[in-house]
Amino acid sequence: MVYFIYTYSQGGVKTGLSEYIVEMRGVTKRFPGIVANDNVSIAIKKGEIYALLGENGAGKSTLMSMLFGLYEPDEGEIYVRGEKVTLESPAAAAKLGIGMVHQHFRLISNYTIAQNIVLGIEPKKRLLGFLPTVDIKKANRDIAELSRRYGLEVDPTQKIEDVGVSMQQRVEILKMLYREAEILIFDEPTAMLTPQEIEFLLKIILELRAGGKTIILITHKLEEIKQVADRCAVLARGKLIGVIDAATTSTREMANMMVGREVETDIDKKPANFGREILKVEGLTVKNDDGLEVVKDVGFSVRAGEIFAVAGVSGNGQIELADAVAGLAKTSGGRIFLDGEEITHASVRDRILAGMSYIPEDRQNVGLVLDFDLAENLALKSYFKEPFCRKGFLNRAAFEEHGNRLIEEYDIRSGQGTHTQVRSMSGGNQQKAIIAREIELESKLMIFVQPTRGLDIGAIENIRRQILAERDAGRAVLLISLELDEIMALADTIGVIYRGQLLKTAPAAELTSRKVGEYMMGVSA
Amino acid sequence: METFISDGLSFALPLFVIAIGGIYSERSGITNLALEGMLGMGAFVGALAVVLLTNGAFAGEFYLAMLFACLGGALFAVIHAVLCINFRANQVISGVVINILATALAAFLAKLINASVFGQNSNKFQLSTAPTLGTIIPGISGVPVLGKMYVFVPIILVVALIAWFILYKTRFGMHLRACGDNPHAVDAAGGNVARTRFIAVLASGALSGIGGICFAYYIAANFSPSIFMGYGYLSIAALIFGNWRVMPTLAACLLFGFARSGGYAVAKLLALPSTFSNLIMTLPYIVTLLLLVFFSKTNRAPRALGEIYDKGKR
Repeated sequence: MVYFIYTYSQGGVKTGLSEYIVEMRGVTKRFPGIVANDNVSIAIKKGEIYALLGENGAGKSTLMSMLFGLYEPDEGEIYVRGEKVTLESPAAAAKLGIGMVHQHFRLISNYTIAQNIVLGIEPKKRLLGFLPTVDIKKANRDIAELSRRYGLEVDPTQKIEDVGVSMQQRVEILKMLYREAEILIFDEPTAMLTPQEIEFLLKIILELRAGGKTIILITHKLEEIKQVADRCAVLARGKLIGVIDAATTSTREMANMMVGREVETDIDKKPANFGREILKVEGLTVKNDDGLEVVKDVGFSVRAGEIFAVAGVSGNGQIELADAVAGLAKTSGGRIFLDGEEITHASVRDRILAGMSYIPEDRQNVGLVLDFDLAENLALKSYFKEPFCRKGFLNRAAFEEHGNRLIEEYDIRSGQGTHTQVRSMSGGNQQKAIIAREIELESKLMIFVQPTRGLDIGAIENIRRQILAERDAGRAVLLISLELDEIMALADTIGVIYRGQLLKTAPAAELTSRKVGEYMMGVSA
Repeated sequence: METFISDGLSFALPLFVIAIGGIYSERSGITNLALEGMLGMGAFVGALAVVLLTNGAFAGEFYLAMLFACLGGALFAVIHAVLCINFRANQVISGVVINILATALAAFLAKLINASVFGQNSNKFQLSTAPTLGTIIPGISGVPVLGKMYVFVPIILVVALIAWFILYKTRFGMHLRACGDNPHAVDAAGGNVARTRFIAVLASGALSGIGGICFAYYIAANFSPSIFMGYGYLSIAALIFGNWRVMPTLAACLLFGFARSGGYAVAKLLALPSTFSNLIMTLPYIVTLLLLVFFSKTNRAPRALGEIYDKGKR
């Protein structure tokens, strides 16, 4: 492995004492084809909660990855406690007291919580007086003590693979505290948490600030910034748009700054007009590869013109449920009906032809063929039919025509129109392409799994409108989402899934988001 | 019965030390199909040292061979480490290519050196037989099994114990296993993924070399290109059945060893012609296939195995 170490001339820069604990001056970072950060300068005071707000791809994570030593800036300088620094590795950042909780946790799944926390700075002891070993007992004691001190309860001897997302995040936080980090970076920390867990996390963040820590919060959730942040830097397309005072700026102003235009945050929803039953699921049971029942005896039905939303914490069987209905996962019990016809054992192709559209969670691997061009991807579910295919030969002209029409109608943006390789498109436009394709099938049932995951506010707004439009056009919609906001905004009926079972099914009007959050945690009342 | 046990152990233990080498490499996240090539080249270097440095009457010959086999294996493993870690090559392809290279290189060099140094037309290096415990400790020469046990059996057990200790009880071992599960975590924790993996691959070469020279001594008492019999692949199978863990892998190796010696015992008992006894030699491989069908489903490879580590990947 070759590390490119950039050294900057030290001459002439007089920094002296500074009220800022971290300063990044004129930082630019380029990746092949894009400028991730373009001459960004930020300054963070000791003991404040500093938020970084921006859409996906705005460059927030890249900026912080440079502070954490994962990348090195192409241009610009970084100062920590007034001293100019070169951060060539996370180890160098850790020495300066900088810690980071990544969006995708960096944990060893088959290690215990304590082993994960002490990794890299393990307490040592000499076995039999000479054999150097890791003192895991001391580690366990230290971690138990540390977790009590900060109110972050963990069992040091539990394995990471056996604990949930919120516990894993706790481990990441403890990892920073164990290293006595003073500057704590959180990258989208609430993305995978339930409302209760978010509340708890924000409380912890405030407590950490009270304890003298400096906190940098990367997020695109405006409410969280309002709740905890002192100041907020807004980034868009790699550039710094401005730094605002969180207390005196409204969320609407923040949103507009971030997107660069007026955003409609409230979507008006017409009253529902339910028709006949389209999807009926009875006693559905699905086993995973290990033979465990991840979906247990689930039953529900979705009518035409209804959005049935499945709420739940990630990993409670909702993805398997969607896959089973779509025919991607085998069922081990129960029956599925589409518009009165049983489709429990039908092939995926038969389900599509019978009137089912599916927008999968993993849009890049399940929803698209990334190396195909846009025209081909848009015809992925109809290429075998006229006019795309005549007597076994593909008709490129039909692909072009169909592709151009959809690009126009659904405002799919791409470099080279129908010939664009889908891999090169942005996540938002990839999703637009999938949704365009699935809507064009004019199916009776549309299944949306995490349709707005990882997208920015503008794209989210757009997609939610489309989902509502499909419902108003009389289609049955099965929506599976981890975002409670999304479920509350769209659903007509909510089913909460917990450990593979539908714990509660009720009209959305009868539930509050708080109540749904409780059911998501398994509280049945 | 005695031959059954001692043959079984003599085959199982070299297989085991090679499998530990494989465990080191794979637990650090580097797929290692090159065990076959490493054991062969290790044995080659060990045997070469013997024929060049001794005149056939040196008492410590076996230990000298072992030392050089260990060094040779490690040296040859550098190729795999550089290709996979520095050049981010596909690890499966690198492994396969190294095996082909080793087969060709060993045959070519053995012939060349025999011709130019000794003036012989041969691709073999003659070795003496491996010493047994009985020859070292005269007091136990009469004890069944133990007396006729090759010294490499206890040596490998000690090596295995040390390897196990390093892998599970030391900081280095903890980092090594962490690299195979989530290298990003190691990086974020201030560890050096590339260096840890490099050392792991070298260790796998060194351990394979030890196993290789033991096979050369035990099976033929010489080095020839027929050392490439697929034992490296068999040890990969053993470590997979052993779920990438040292102790279960020992069990798998013992199973293979006794399947093989049991096969010989049966062939001898039935007094079969040699065509059929060759068939019996396929026994360990048939056992492998059967085990593969029944057990490999529940086994779990290290999560980051074979993944090219890219620091910037999110």
